[in-house]
Amino acid sequence: MNEDPRFAHASEAELARILDYYKVAWQYEPHVFPIRWNSEGVVVESFAPDFYLPELGLHIELTTLKQSLVRKKNRKLRHLRELYPMVRIKLFYARDFRALLLKYGRLDAAASLIGVDGQPPPRRREAAVVVVGPSGPSGVGEPLESSLPGRGGPAAD
Amino acid sequence: MPASPLEKDVAEILIDEVTLQAKVTELGARISVDYEGRRVTLVSVLKGALPFMADLMRSISLPVRIDLMEVSSYGGATETSGQVRILKDLSSAIEGEDVIIVEDIIDTGLTLHYVTEHLRGKDPASLAICTLLDKPARRLVDIDIAYRGFEIPDRFVIGYGLDYGEIYRNLPYIGVLRPEVYGGE
Repeated sequence: MNEDPRFAHASEAELARILDYYKVAWQYEPHVFPIRWNSEGVVVESFAPDFYLPELGLHIELTTLKQSLVRKKNRKLRHLRELYPMVRIKLFYARDFRALLLKYGRLDAAASLIGVDGQPPPRRREAAVVVVGPSGPSGVGEPLESSLPGRGGPAAD
Repeated sequence: MPASPLEKDVAEILIDEVTLQAKVTELGARISVDYEGRRVTLVSVLKGALPFMADLMRSISLPVRIDLMEVSSYGGATETSGQVRILKDLSSAIEGEDVIIVEDIIDTGLTLHYVTEHLRGKDPASLAICTLLDKPARRLVDIDIAYRGFEIPDRFVIGYGLDYGEIYRNLPYIGVLRPEVYGGE
């Protein structure tokens, strides 16, 4: 489990708290999946799901922002599932997250956790990530290299 | 009998009382066949599964023990930190017993995952899960459900033990709560 991973959105921090509460181990953006290459084989687009639950073998992507960004996420998710069919990933939309808050009696916090209000100020993200190539026997993909944003392909969102 | 004042908060009845009871009887009959010649221990997690377990146990034609647990919930009172804990553990040992966890609804699976692991540690002879309602839309933990009453859509349901703010448990059916009641859309 990461310590202080500096979540990109308040909803991610809330989900981490829920997972912590129920003793479910999680990692924040540990895997980057290349999903588009140019004609020279250089990665031009990749996808880093927000959470990986190692004991459950499940990735979770939260998307609580505006509809245009949801459409982009859906497209990326479709590519990921086509390229890495053994990777298990669940996409939580704003309505799903709101339903979670309702379930746990936290709907009053929805305004501060969902949408633009839940975003922290822009920052430079420098976390090391493991770039994962097309799926190998494990289904998760074989690590190609450890990379920082700016090396080995564009930073994933 | 006059209409319940609670019913004004019900947008629709998802599963009526007759259908509910028929399903409970069916589940009880299946358990009776599967565990023939044995004794089963039904374990319910307070409070939502109480009505279901009370009816289910009476549909089982075997020796039955019952036991209750209570588990803390994220968001309950001021619980947004710390970890889940057992507020009330089982009253009797289950080592060597055939245990069935009786749930009202399985949603994310997080609570049931914790309860299952806790009970496995007590060395039952077998451990199975019986749920009245299965709502898989936001399932995070894969749960092997041996007995499932109904798979339901992604709606906020109340009644027959399920609550909103500790109210509505006493409705005899499964209903959908009006969004205006909880500030939903």
